[in-house]
Amino acid sequence: MTSHGNTLKLERVPTGIAGLDRILCGGLLSGGVYIIEGVPGTGKTILANQICFNHVASGGHVAFVTLLAESHTRMLQHLQPMTFYKEEAIPERLYYVSGFRVLENEGLKGVIDLLRREIKGHQASLLVLDGFATTEESASSPREFKKFVHEVQSHAAAMECTVLLLTNGSEREISPEYTMVDGVIHLENTLFEHRTERTLQIGKFRGSDFLPGRHPFRITGRGHEIFPRVEAAFAVPTVRDDYSPRRQSTGIASLDEVLGGGLLAETSNGLYGPTGIGKTTFGLQYLAPCSEREPGTFFGLFESPERLRARAATLGIDLRGLERRGAVELIWCPQGEHILDELGHRMVDAVRRRGVKRLFIDGYGALVESATDPGRMTRFISTLGNELRALKATVVISMESRNIMGSAAELPEKGLSSLLEGLILMRYTELDGRIQRVVSVTKIRDSGFDPSLRRFEITSGGIQIGGALHGVEAALSGFAREPRVVAAEDLPPGKRREV
Amino acid sequence: MRTVLVVDDEFGTVEVLVAALEDEGYRVLTAANGRRGLERLEENKPDLVISDFMMPLMDGPTMVAAMRADPAFRGVPVIMMSAAPEDALRKHMDGYDAFLRKPFRIPALLQAVAAILARAPGPTSERPDAPV
Repeated sequence: MTSHGNTLKLERVPTGIAGLDRILCGGLLSGGVYIIEGVPGTGKTILANQICFNHVASGGHVAFVTLLAESHTRMLQHLQPMTFYKEEAIPERLYYVSGFRVLENEGLKGVIDLLRREIKGHQASLLVLDGFATTEESASSPREFKKFVHEVQSHAAAMECTVLLLTNGSEREISPEYTMVDGVIHLENTLFEHRTERTLQIGKFRGSDFLPGRHPFRITGRGHEIFPRVEAAFAVPTVRDDYSPRRQSTGIASLDEVLGGGLLAETSNGLYGPTGIGKTTFGLQYLAPCSEREPGTFFGLFESPERLRARAATLGIDLRGLERRGAVELIWCPQGEHILDELGHRMVDAVRRRGVKRLFIDGYGALVESATDPGRMTRFISTLGNELRALKATVVISMESRNIMGSAAELPEKGLSSLLEGLILMRYTELDGRIQRVVSVTKIRDSGFDPSLRRFEITSGGIQIGGALHGVEAALSGFAREPRVVAAEDLPPGKRREV
Repeated sequence: MRTVLVVDDEFGTVEVLVAALEDEGYRVLTAANGRRGLERLEENKPDLVISDFMMPLMDGPTMVAAMRADPAFRGVPVIMMSAAPEDALRKHMDGYDAFLRKPFRIPALLQAVAAILARAPGPTSERPDAPV
C-alpha cells in the first residue's frame, strides 16, 4: 500500500461573527456536527441564520432544513430587517426547505435521505437542521435515534458539510447526541434582578481550543453581537508588551512636577476622589496635548460629548478642534443596561483602531454598575489593563469615593491598588474655615515622586497645583488641623520622650 | 368543480391554502414537493397549480419545466409562490403565470386564482359551477 503522506487537516469554517469566531479560536471545523441549544427566545434561529448568510457571503452554499410545523416564510420575515439578511442569496446560495412532512411520512430514514440530497443537490458546505429535538421524538428507540445522529455525522464528514442542529435542549442530564456530536453551543437568558443578560457558552468543541465560560451577547439589528469574556479573551495580551520606561505628561505641568515628570507611559493609573473634585477636568486636560501622532480617547459613561466640549471650552481647550483633527475621540456610553465585557471590548477596539496613546475612562463606578457579577471587577481591570498597556495606551481611570468628606479613603475594590501603576488621590479638606481641594500622589510604581500633600484649585486654565501643605495634619481625613503638641505625660508608659 | 393542486413542503402553508380554497368551492389536491406534484398531475389533471419555489427533492421551477415539456400539462396555469422576491427568482424560473410573495393575504390569493381560471379555463374544468 502506498502512503501519500498527506495529513488531513480540518479546515475552519468561520461563523463570520467576530466574537464567536474569537471564542471558537477561528471558527467551527469543516464537516463537524454542532448542536446549538437553548430554550425558546434565546436566539438560536437568528444565530444559525446569521452564520448561514455570513457563510454565503464568503462563497459557501447552505441548505436550511426545518422539521418544525411552522413556516420559514414567517422566519424570513423576521430576519428581513437584520443587516446580515441579503435577499439575493436566496435561493441560489441559501436554500430553505421543510422536512416536516418527510419526517411525518418517512421517519428518520426519510430525513437522512432528504439531508443527503439537499447537501448534494445544493453543493452545501453548511447545513442547518432546525427542530432537531423532533427527530428524537420520532425515533422508535434510543438506538434508532443514535443511529440517526451517527448517520448525520457520517454524511457530514464524507461530504465536508458542516452541520448545525438547532434544539431546545434535552431534559436528560447526559443525552446521547451530546456525547456524539463535535460541539455544543449553549445559549441562555439569565435574569439578574430586573435585567436579563444573554450568554453563550461552548459546552464542548472537539479538535479545537476555545474560550471557556459564559460570554455575554446582544441581539441587535446586526444580529448576534458576542463579547468574549474579557478575562478569557485577554488572559494573554494579543500583542507583545514591548515596554521601555518613560514618562508621559498629564497635561498639567504642576502635577507633572509632583509626579517626577509625569505618569509612567503605557501604564494603568487611578484617579480617586469624590464627586466634583475635578476628575473629569483632569481627563480633559490629560487629552489636551493629544495630536494625530499621539491620539487620545475620552471613554465616558457619565457626561455627554456636548457637555464635555462645553466644559473643555471653559478651560480653554478646543475639544471640538482636537476631534476634527483626529487627535481626540469622545466615546460616550450613557449609563443604561451595559454589558461589562462589551464596554471592555469597545475600549480595546477604540485603542487598537486609532493607535490611542492616552485613554481616559470616566469612570470606574459605571463599569461596576454594568457588571452582573461585581466580584469579577479586579480580574476584569487586571486583564483589560494588560491588553491596553500592551497596545501602548497610558490609561487613567477615574474612581469616585463614596464620601465627599470624611476619613474613608479606601479604593472601591480590594486588590485594585496593586493593579494600578499610579494612583492619584484627590480630597476635600476643611482648613481655616474653608473647604479646600488637596491632591497627593500615592503611588508611582518603581519610581520617585513627591509624596507631599498639595492644595489645588480649578481655575479658568484648569487644575493648578499649589505648594505643599505645611503645618497641618490629618488633611486626608477631611478635617485638617494644626499638629497637636503632646505633653510627655499624655503618652503611654514606654513611649514618653521629648516632644 | 375546479381542481387546484397545491405543491408546498411547508405543512402550515398547505393547511391554510387547502382550507381557503375549499371554502371557495374548489377541489384541492396537495403534494409536498415537485416530484410528488408531477405524480399528482398524472393522477388527476388539475385546472391550476399553485407551487412553492423552494422544496426538497424537486423545486417548483423544475416541476414547471417538466409540465411545460409535457403536452398533456403544457396548458395548465401555474401560480408560483415564495418567501423570496420575484426579482431574485426570475432568472431561475420560467413558464409560470403569476407570482405571489409569501406571506400573502388569502383574498389576494383567491383573487389571483379566480383571475387566472377566468382567462384560461383548465381542460378538466366544468365552467358552470366554477367559483368567481
